[in-house]
Amino acid sequence: MTFPELNPAVGYVSLILVSLATVLIGIYGLRISRTTGDFYVASRTVRPWWNASAIGGEYLSAASFLGVAGLILLSGVDALWFPIGYTAGYLMLLLFVAAPLRRSGAYTIPDFAEARLESRNVRRVTSLLVIAVGWLYIVPQLHGAALTVRITTGLPSWVGSVAVVVVVCLSVITGGMRSITFVQAFQYWLKLTALAVPVVFILIQLAGTGGSITDNGAVFDSGLNTTADASLYQNISLVIALLFGTLGLPHVLVRFYTNPDGVSARRTTLIVLGLLSVFYLFPTLYGVLGRIHTPELAVQGAADATVLLLPSRIFDGVGGDILSAFVTAGAFAAFLSTSSGLVVSLAGVVSQDFFRASVSGFRWAAIVSALIPLGFALLTDTLALAGSVSMVFAFTASTICPLLVLGIWWRGLTDAGAIAGMVSGAVLCGGSILLAAALGIDQAPQWLRLPALWTVPAAFAVTVAVSRFTAGRRPSSASRVLARLHTPEPA
Amino acid sequence: MSEPVQRPERVRVTAPQSAAGPGTTYPVAREMAEQSDVGELFVRSLLRSQLRLAVVVASGFLVILVGIPVLFSVFPVIHSWTVASVPVPWLLLGLGIYPVVIGCAVLYVRSAGRIEQRFRDLVDDQ
Repeated sequence: MTFPELNPAVGYVSLILVSLATVLIGIYGLRISRTTGDFYVASRTVRPWWNASAIGGEYLSAASFLGVAGLILLSGVDALWFPIGYTAGYLMLLLFVAAPLRRSGAYTIPDFAEARLESRNVRRVTSLLVIAVGWLYIVPQLHGAALTVRITTGLPSWVGSVAVVVVVCLSVITGGMRSITFVQAFQYWLKLTALAVPVVFILIQLAGTGGSITDNGAVFDSGLNTTADASLYQNISLVIALLFGTLGLPHVLVRFYTNPDGVSARRTTLIVLGLLSVFYLFPTLYGVLGRIHTPELAVQGAADATVLLLPSRIFDGVGGDILSAFVTAGAFAAFLSTSSGLVVSLAGVVSQDFFRASVSGFRWAAIVSALIPLGFALLTDTLALAGSVSMVFAFTASTICPLLVLGIWWRGLTDAGAIAGMVSGAVLCGGSILLAAALGIDQAPQWLRLPALWTVPAAFAVTVAVSRFTAGRRPSSASRVLARLHTPEPA
Repeated sequence: MSEPVQRPERVRVTAPQSAAGPGTTYPVAREMAEQSDVGELFVRSLLRSQLRLAVVVASGFLVILVGIPVLFSVFPVIHSWTVASVPVPWLLLGLGIYPVVIGCAVLYVRSAGRIEQRFRDLVDDQ
């Protein structure tokens, strides 16, 4: 399917500019990256505003930039639960994880697990899960890039995925985390501008033509939906997955290690909540306007392209080209930033466990971490972006979330309990998602498609039960580690 | 980002598994809190207060969040209410919930800071 209304030159120019800017900032970062701490966690000196922008830049992925508007086009008001979950996940992170995790002094989630439970086996299981989550999360980013490149330039889909992987590898292997912090902070503001500027012009144009922007409320009509209304179970299970999945996302957590102290970790999270709340207004507006201006995308299975095509539907000629360039650049920034954040955090884990944690090991690990999901992305078909990302959240919520929350707050956690909880969460949640996929997404019962509502409590229950049963295995350092996690730094 | 005047020597990056785990340097207050029985008691009560605070804020927020779809399904008439041609469910879910999220977060950050201040005062008195 082609979209002749977009000028391919616009697509090329914006993709090349964003890629160049990303690589240049990465190289600048290399020049100030000096020590081990610089390389892995930016020496823990990143100020809250920078860090919060970087978290926003890293977190707002293809699912947020394109997927939310696409889902609003398809499912109307039910889709609004996605941005709510994506945002409120940070509230849970603030309440249960942010400050203690920063005080743990760990570099990665497996580091934390090993330090807390004094067990190499817990470390291994956690590493495997973190790597699985990261790979699963990169795949939809690459699908989003494929879609964007195909629609804006007419090039074959694989070009988009490959381009993202190449740019990410270049910027990660040159600069490490420090440069990524600059890149990510830049990406948040780029993404916000890329959505805000066009939508302001669109609203002015629509208001100027005299008609009602919402077509007298017709945009909100549920008759425009192409999916059935979500049940209460679906909404709640989705929100649980998003709320507790955010807590365990490796690329989000690694950013908390870069705060100077626990108090600034909290302040950073607060700013992130503000940044996300502002950001999600815009994809919502695109989705709402798309319901009357680009409705045919729902039928063509290209709902995720709503954001990319809306400006050219409202404006003709050069005006449309310029505004399309904005949204294209923003979309590409979204894939680059989330993928590079994931690759950095995965490379940190992979290099420590398999490459003896040297810098060249980190670089090799980064390349491996980017190439494997590329293979998956090229072999699989695009699903609705926001939907496939929510499955990753459900999986994280059922595996890494219990380990972190119980590890931080409960002395009684044992290595056996943690492993049993993570493995059963992974088997239950991963199993139901695979089973749902095998049955066909439309035929599968909702408790298989959206399992978080029962798999998250199940994983917590297994962790607690097995820990109690193996109370003799509690590490003797538990009290000391918990004291370290919770006592404030000197004022 | 302001750059420090004295930049550290460039070093070869090596296995960074050193900062995590027990046995690294940390503040005197913390050291003291761990090595006496009174200190242990202080830390336990700090942890309990923080956990209680987090659970209270989280449950409050979840009740509001889950309350919204429950309200819609109990009173379906809400779907037909509009403000300036925008239906109320769209307004609540698209706009209204975000200030609630931020409000909960601000409340938590303030209270958690107060709990920590109280702990510091206690330790300093010892």
